[in-house]
Amino acid sequence: MEFLTSAADMMKFLIPGLGVTISVTAIALAIGCVFGAAMAVLRVYGGPVARTIALVYSILIRAVPVIVIIFILFFVISEVIDLTPFMSGAFALGFASGAYQTEIFRGAILSIPSGQMRAARGIGMSRFQAIRCIILPQAFRVAIPSLINEISLVLKDSSLVFVIGVPELLRRAQYASASTMEPLLAFGCAALFYMAMTLTLSKALEAVEKKFAVNF
Amino acid sequence: MKKILSLVLALGLCLAVSASAADKIVVGTSADYPPYEFTDASGNFVGFDMDLVRAIGEKMGKEIKIVDMGFDTLIAALQKEKIDVVIAAMQATEERAKKVDFSTVYRTIADALLIKPGSGLKLKSVYDSAAYKVGSQTGTIQEKWIQDNLIKTGKLPKENYFSYERVDNAAMDLKAGRIDVLHIQSDPATELMKKNKLEIALISKEAIAGGQSLAVTKGNKELLNAINKAIEEIKADGTMDKLTKKYNLL
Repeated sequence: MEFLTSAADMMKFLIPGLGVTISVTAIALAIGCVFGAAMAVLRVYGGPVARTIALVYSILIRAVPVIVIIFILFFVISEVIDLTPFMSGAFALGFASGAYQTEIFRGAILSIPSGQMRAARGIGMSRFQAIRCIILPQAFRVAIPSLINEISLVLKDSSLVFVIGVPELLRRAQYASASTMEPLLAFGCAALFYMAMTLTLSKALEAVEKKFAVNF
Repeated sequence: MKKILSLVLALGLCLAVSASAADKIVVGTSADYPPYEFTDASGNFVGFDMDLVRAIGEKMGKEIKIVDMGFDTLIAALQKEKIDVVIAAMQATEERAKKVDFSTVYRTIADALLIKPGSGLKLKSVYDSAAYKVGSQTGTIQEKWIQDNLIKTGKLPKENYFSYERVDNAAMDLKAGRIDVLHIQSDPATELMKKNKLEIALISKEAIAGGQSLAVTKGNKELLNAINKAIEEIKADGTMDKLTKKYNLL
């Protein structure tokens, strides 16, 4: 009984953080997806300059710890553009995830046979049209399994944004641990929430994967 | 989809920090350190420091807005003027005073050596802990004292010292017997002792350099003077004693 009441108390601590974690992750993934897809196209089909830019982006960002990117956005970039801590955190995570998604999408694009491009051009499509209507839709399907992986990584990286004052799930667990002195229960509950979120997201994407699967 | 988007935007706006509004003071803290700063179940900031800074705001006639950050981020946030004031059980050490300005001391503190009951350790001074496995919190005054006075002088072998990010984890290790002595500040020690059934072997002022102060951005004399004046008033009119009693501080 005592355990049940303290578990209920724990929920009160943690649940407000759930919304913050989900929105940070959602924004980060959306930004990362746009960045990743664009940079991947540049890396595969771009001219020498565009290709170098995309390459430098993906190498540099992957080399820097996410927490440093968060600090740079919050303390340096937000001097110029007025970003709230929440937005700095979400953008930083999105920017970082974009670099990983670049590589995911690049691999996916390269896995599409080059005949597809030639055929598209052959029926009179422009290069851009061919990429948008023929290559990317097929590449996206190939990319889904790796994207599930990336989603679960971003979800857990989202716990880093607390350093600049965004009270997400893990920070809430720290609050709970500090004021109830029950670290095991606090972090255990947080772990359950992370697990539930990861499972839900991967099930959702698996459904998408099934829907778009090619059945021969 | 629109609903989710507007929810996300609203959340972003709620969390906006603007340190510029004149009648509002943005206070940074690291809310994982009872009894000074922590949160209740609904996420309100509570604790000795929190009540104190609200009282200071009242004396100054300004609204107080508290934001939570990592302890290590607080000084950087002050320097970049993301926040106006820091109150986080922070002591005015020389290193920190190079980067920010500190108010007068609002609370003098002591150290406590925590041990496991029944372990039979006899500690007459803090130096006696050198014979055992010692733990303290990373980046604190206590850790620096142990480094300077026990480890560098060769009294305590380096491998017998353990540095913990958080005091509650350290207390668990003490309970589990991985360390013998936990050297932390006395106010949080009382609470940890009760929750984890530990014992305070010694209260000492040996390692204390100063006391706790509020910090402001370097050069912000106007705010600093107003805060110092408010602290004087709070000490004089008995509010400080009331707060000390409320949180059972020694």
